[in-house]
Amino acid sequence: MGDEKKPKKGGLLGVFKDIIYGMSSHEMTRQAVRSRASMEHLFILITMGDLLGIPILPPYYSLRLLPYVTPQISSWKRRMLRERDVTDLLG
Amino acid sequence: MSLRTVFESQPERRYIMFGGKGGLGKTTLSATSAFWLASQGKRVLLFSVDPQASLSDIFQQDIFGKGPVPIMPNLWAQEVDADRRIKDYQDEIRKKILDMYGFDRVPEEIDNYIAAASAEPAMEESAIFDAVVDIIVQGDYDYYIYDLVPLGHALYYLSMAKVYDEWINKITKLREDMRQYDQVAATMRREETVEEDKILGELLYIKERINASSRILTDRRRTAFFFVLVPEEMIILDTQKAAELFSRFDVPLSGYVVNRVLPPDLGAGRIPEYLKNRITMQQKYMKNIQATFGGQILAYVPEMERDITGLGMIERLARRLFEEEGPAR
Repeated sequence: MGDEKKPKKGGLLGVFKDIIYGMSSHEMTRQAVRSRASMEHLFILITMGDLLGIPILPPYYSLRLLPYVTPQISSWKRRMLRERDVTDLLG
Repeated sequence: MSLRTVFESQPERRYIMFGGKGGLGKTTLSATSAFWLASQGKRVLLFSVDPQASLSDIFQQDIFGKGPVPIMPNLWAQEVDADRRIKDYQDEIRKKILDMYGFDRVPEEIDNYIAAASAEPAMEESAIFDAVVDIIVQGDYDYYIYDLVPLGHALYYLSMAKVYDEWINKITKLREDMRQYDQVAATMRREETVEEDKILGELLYIKERINASSRILTDRRRTAFFFVLVPEEMIILDTQKAAELFSRFDVPLSGYVVNRVLPPDLGAGRIPEYLKNRITMQQKYMKNIQATFGGQILAYVPEMERDITGLGMIERLARRLFEEEGPAR
């Protein structure tokens, strides 16, 4: 997510800030990223539903969006089509 | 009112459409009106997106898929090759995928999807209406005369446009919500900027295109929609039904043109029984048409002694329709 490009913050203070970040908001960030990923899958379902046999958006226009979601298609399909069981509720 | 007075009194109506069932003379009326407007010094583009377009036939010149072709001073005609357009569009999408990710070839699954998408019937309608938006946005003509595909297509598209529009609104909203999550994550990671969401941009573009194409069909100020009918029982009934459906979708109906009217003096003298029956029957339907559509009838087009093809015949009909007296018979 481009984290590695972040310029190093100076010395001890930087380390301290990172620790605080790790303790406080890291979990929230992960939560936000995860929600974002779920929405991404929902979005692909709505626009590319044809791939699973659910036509929703007119294909002429969904093709315009296809290039942007190409890398996500296979993980999305796996998620949509995988079997689910009771333990999913715990996740 | 006549066709001429409609054009002259409402010059801001630049998108002209003739609708009606297949084979009633939409192309004839479109070409005749285009001819007359062009001869009045207006720059006119007459175009068709029908895969079975008949502009090539009426102008006796192959113009299919060749862009706007000059027919005479001020008049251009264009037949859009919808299949070609869909193929080009698919190639464009494939190329974009290759360029974006540096692939050698499009992943099979994705490629299958691209191929399958074009097989859907909605694909062609969308491609056609998108082509119309292109034509109207790009050109600088005074008049755009749309040789309309048969009624069903137009109605189907209009009803879909409303549904699509709502869908796009929902999807755009979802996309905007997603962006907020991006921003939350970025803020917490103390990142300055969030990458621009290209998909959101595309969605807004799609929304604009869908709206633009349905707007053209429903713009009261700039669009004039004429129905073409002939004096036959079923056609009269169908036209009434279609007119009602169209008005439900806010298509601005400007009037009716009655085509293939037999010359009234044909019945005089000694003629075969068969012909006499046809004439009596048509007279009955003419009364019917007058009772039904009355003052909204803009022209009666006589049945000519030969097909209307070639500029000479079009000119003759234009003179008859626009220069001689209006709808009075």
